[in-house]
Amino acid sequence: MEKEKVIEVKDLVKRFGAFMANDRLTFDVYRGEIFGFLGANGAGKTTAMRILCGLSRPTSGRVTVAGIDASRRPEEIKKRIGYMSQRFSLYEDLTVRENIELYGGIYGMSMKVIIPRREALLDRLSFTQYGDMLIHALPLGLRQKLAFAVAVFHDPEIVFLDEPTSGVDPVTRRQFWEMIYETASHGITVFVTTHYMDEAEYCDRIAIMSEGQIAAIDSPSALRKQYGTASVEELFVKIARPQKSKT
Amino acid sequence: MKRLLFLLRKEFRQIIRNPFMLRAIIGVPLMQMLILVPAVTFEIKRLDLAVTDNDRSSASRELISKLSGSSFFRTTAAPLNIATAESLLLSGDADMVLVIPDDFSEGLAGMTKPRLQVLIDAVNATQGMLAWSYLTSVVRDFNMDLVISQGGAPKVIPGISTAPRYWYNPTLNYKHFMLPGILVILIIAIGLMLAGLNLVKELETGTLEQINVTPVSKWEVIVSKVIPFFILGLFDLALGLTVGWIAFNIPFEGSILLFFACSAIFLVAVLGMALFFSTLVSNRQQYLFVAFFFTMVFILMSGIFTPAESMPLWAQQFNWINPVAYLMRINRMVMLKGAGFHEIARDIGMLSILALAFIILAIRAYRKRA
Repeated sequence: MEKEKVIEVKDLVKRFGAFMANDRLTFDVYRGEIFGFLGANGAGKTTAMRILCGLSRPTSGRVTVAGIDASRRPEEIKKRIGYMSQRFSLYEDLTVRENIELYGGIYGMSMKVIIPRREALLDRLSFTQYGDMLIHALPLGLRQKLAFAVAVFHDPEIVFLDEPTSGVDPVTRRQFWEMIYETASHGITVFVTTHYMDEAEYCDRIAIMSEGQIAAIDSPSALRKQYGTASVEELFVKIARPQKSKT
Repeated sequence: MKRLLFLLRKEFRQIIRNPFMLRAIIGVPLMQMLILVPAVTFEIKRLDLAVTDNDRSSASRELISKLSGSSFFRTTAAPLNIATAESLLLSGDADMVLVIPDDFSEGLAGMTKPRLQVLIDAVNATQGMLAWSYLTSVVRDFNMDLVISQGGAPKVIPGISTAPRYWYNPTLNYKHFMLPGILVILIIAIGLMLAGLNLVKELETGTLEQINVTPVSKWEVIVSKVIPFFILGLFDLALGLTVGWIAFNIPFEGSILLFFACSAIFLVAVLGMALFFSTLVSNRQQYLFVAFFFTMVFILMSGIFTPAESMPLWAQQFNWINPVAYLMRINRMVMLKGAGFHEIARDIGMLSILALAFIILAIRAYRKRA
């Protein structure tokens, strides 16, 4: 069966003055897969992701997300995606229910649709008792899970997660990844950046970025085999920082 | 459109939950009205007067008591010589020094020409001029009494006599002049500070980025910020006006409806400006600096303290784009003169153009990219 491409990137370049943040990136992401974007801080992961989300425009190259050209119609892309940023972005002075309601409304859902979906969601996450609490009263782990749930509340085609688990304890990270799997099982494509190498193993495919370029891209097992390493972590050290070993 | 309703509901929820916001909305108009209106005045009362009386005659004592008897002067010192008097002037303990020469009473008796010396601290030029004119009017009175007491009928000076009738503010009450201006400042405080800071705070905390990655349009974001602060601004204006009316019995000659309509247009201009500024900065400190700077320039050039008509030409030209100048004039015209729509139509027109321009500028400058 031919796999459907949901993100197509060809020769993407993003330049900030003399600095080349993204240097001719070319890759595809298929519908329903969990695609991991790995790289050291400053490797250009977030820059590329922001272009895919329509928050930033490419300097050159062709970027298509959900069939829409990211340079020309970024606002159309925004209707079809969900996004969870590195910085926590729910409203801390609104309750859990009010945050879900707000984002549901922003994506064009009516209260009639929002309320039953919201209650079902709270129930599924066992969050019902937190429903009327203000966000700033919740522990970080719960907030992150909720932020993810809000990002996919409107059933986007793709959800972008920018280092969603930084600063979260291992148990919550585990639960978070269970949520990601569940989301992917409903056909939502998950595009996730991370610098936790163990998380990379959970992805269907990964791209390893180094200095604005994609150094390797394939499934974690294929890459391990290709480079003859036991873990993604070793793999990462091997290809993401080759010049380090030279010096 | 429905999105806007969700955004508005969110804004109102946040405002109601923010205890600082509630305190500011109630506290700012009360403080401004009750403190600024009576405090900001150009009336000069109780100037500190030091008198060096070298004559020590009944005539000189009479002059001194006449001066202290007026509400303008308070005799605070009697330095023995001019050097002491000068040091009082320098230290600010005296605003003016009156030196009565030792031949003063002789002069009055007709032997020499009677003279007085007056030294005035004119660091504040307006105060210096006023002090001088108060003093000369008291001395003129003194002269008149003298003529009468010496049995001569006060000479009727032939010529034109003028008798002023002070219109629109018959008692020359400075509060009546300042209050309409302070109401303008009140709107600026609410509109420029609260609304702008609100948007910049969302930029700082990252919630704006989340909004920017949704299909919300730029105008929806801007309008969702304008409407709540528009309502708060008008509420505060009503509160301020009520306080002014109760505390100072401010006359209101014109139409309240017209007054609120003009203030509403001004408020839109201020909110547009606030949101435009907030697109230019990246954090709250920067915003405060920009907002403070422009607030100061706009207010000082608006004619709140000094008549805009006597400013240099370039300053008057600047006031074409200064919304504060328009409302300053409109408020005084409507509240004190009872001006109707026709008298202020040009100002309303200009203010409306500015309001529209600032809102469009804010929407255009807002980037859904962050």
